[in-house]
Amino acid sequence: MGRWRLWTSLALHDIASRYRGSVLGPFWITVTMAAMIGGVGLMYSQLLNLSLREYVPWLATGLVFWTLFSQVITEGCDSFIASGTIIKQTAIPMFSFIFRMLTRNLINFAHQIIIVAVVLVWSGLWSQSNPLLSLVGLVLVMVNLSWLALVTGVVSARFRDVPQIVNALVQIAIFLTPVFWRPETIKAHRFVLHGNPFHHMLEVTRRPLLGEPVQPESYLILIVTALVGWAVAFALFSRTRRRVVHYL
Amino acid sequence: MTSPVGITLENLSIRFPVYGADQRSLKKHLARIAIGGTLGEAGKSHAPVVSALNNVSFRLEAGDRLALVGPNGSGKTTLLRVLAGVYAPDDGSLETVGKVASLLDLTLGLQPTATGFENIYLRGLIAGLTKAQIQAKTAEIAAFSGLGAFLGLPLKTYSSGMLARLAFAVATSVDADILLMDEWIAVGDADFRTSARDRLLSLIEKSHIMVLASHDTSLVKGLCNKFLHLEHGQATGVMPIEAMDEFMAARAAGRVASAA
Repeated sequence: MGRWRLWTSLALHDIASRYRGSVLGPFWITVTMAAMIGGVGLMYSQLLNLSLREYVPWLATGLVFWTLFSQVITEGCDSFIASGTIIKQTAIPMFSFIFRMLTRNLINFAHQIIIVAVVLVWSGLWSQSNPLLSLVGLVLVMVNLSWLALVTGVVSARFRDVPQIVNALVQIAIFLTPVFWRPETIKAHRFVLHGNPFHHMLEVTRRPLLGEPVQPESYLILIVTALVGWAVAFALFSRTRRRVVHYL
Repeated sequence: MTSPVGITLENLSIRFPVYGADQRSLKKHLARIAIGGTLGEAGKSHAPVVSALNNVSFRLEAGDRLALVGPNGSGKTTLLRVLAGVYAPDDGSLETVGKVASLLDLTLGLQPTATGFENIYLRGLIAGLTKAQIQAKTAEIAAFSGLGAFLGLPLKTYSSGMLARLAFAVATSVDADILLMDEWIAVGDADFRTSARDRLLSLIEKSHIMVLASHDTSLVKGLCNKFLHLEHGQATGVMPIEAMDEFMAARAAGRVASAA
């Protein structure tokens, strides 16, 4: 924890180096996301028979949060592999590399949440929006995603197939998770929805921003997965911490 | 001499599991579980293990300048990495008191897309310095590297000599109680070599304990006051450097005797 400056600097450098030399710089993240929301919004609002004012806030919140969650999961697999040279030479706490990845993605997210703010103002939903409750939800989700990143980071370093498997699962998950459509429209086979942790992650972050109520069930599930997940992650990490350097 | 700086190793062993291309694949791992190991050879169900250090014990205190000698692959670099805290001991224990600085990999953590100044900052953070400490050192590092305005440019525009200068200047800017070195570092052109040598010597002077792995016997005799011989992960005890010639001669004679 005392090394926060190290991982924030590395994360800032990750972002800066990706966009160095470009005119817009990191705001490319914003522009790309805005274009995606605009395009999908225009098409899918017709498909789903909704007005733009109804649909775009749902879509914008969904896509922005989904992008954060899915990237943390896929990049989590790489967090130790990518810092292999540093890990093999110095005694820096392993958590630093997880925090580096989380910080980098939160910086990305900060560039995209601007769009959500604009959309909420445009649609008039801002007056009923509850950003503080959404932030509480986001913290709960990040607590979950960080244990997941720790586990997949260790396992991926050992078994190099795992990042590929995780990538494939995340790609499938976007179609099974209510990012583009509302969960209320699903009538049958709702167990798929309730058993999908991404659904609950989106619920606790997105609904408060739109001023809609969150089912207590979603909080409960995320709290349970956080507790169980961290227990598993600690057990795994205490057994493999000294081994990770050999995996790399 | 009441300096508390010290290193204590007790029966320390390091074993490397070697994860080759064969071992990394989850498919093969699962296949092995599925076939219950009957197809695989006995004992092959785990990654092969290399015993890199075996039962190494020694103690160093302030004023000790230890030379690690021994053939390639004998465990010198592994021992340095253990002292740097990279590898945790599989058996035995390690205790280091004092701030450890390792000059094992000078280019560690240098980012090609970042500028010279940014790299000085990042490297300082990796070495565990605070922002204020790094800022205090930056001017000195910049002056020593002699790179001037180039420090504002990304590292990828540097020549390899310029890169080596920066890497050296940054790596040797540390204040360390315990200094770890893998071979003597010689970088840059003739002028830089001389100033680099002086800087390294003064760094050694300031440190309380130095551990240097080297194949250069005359260098080691000039810099160190003790030595330890490693072979196949087995270490001798720490001996005074004056005994080195005698030890090496005895070893060579022993080899001849056992060959005859």
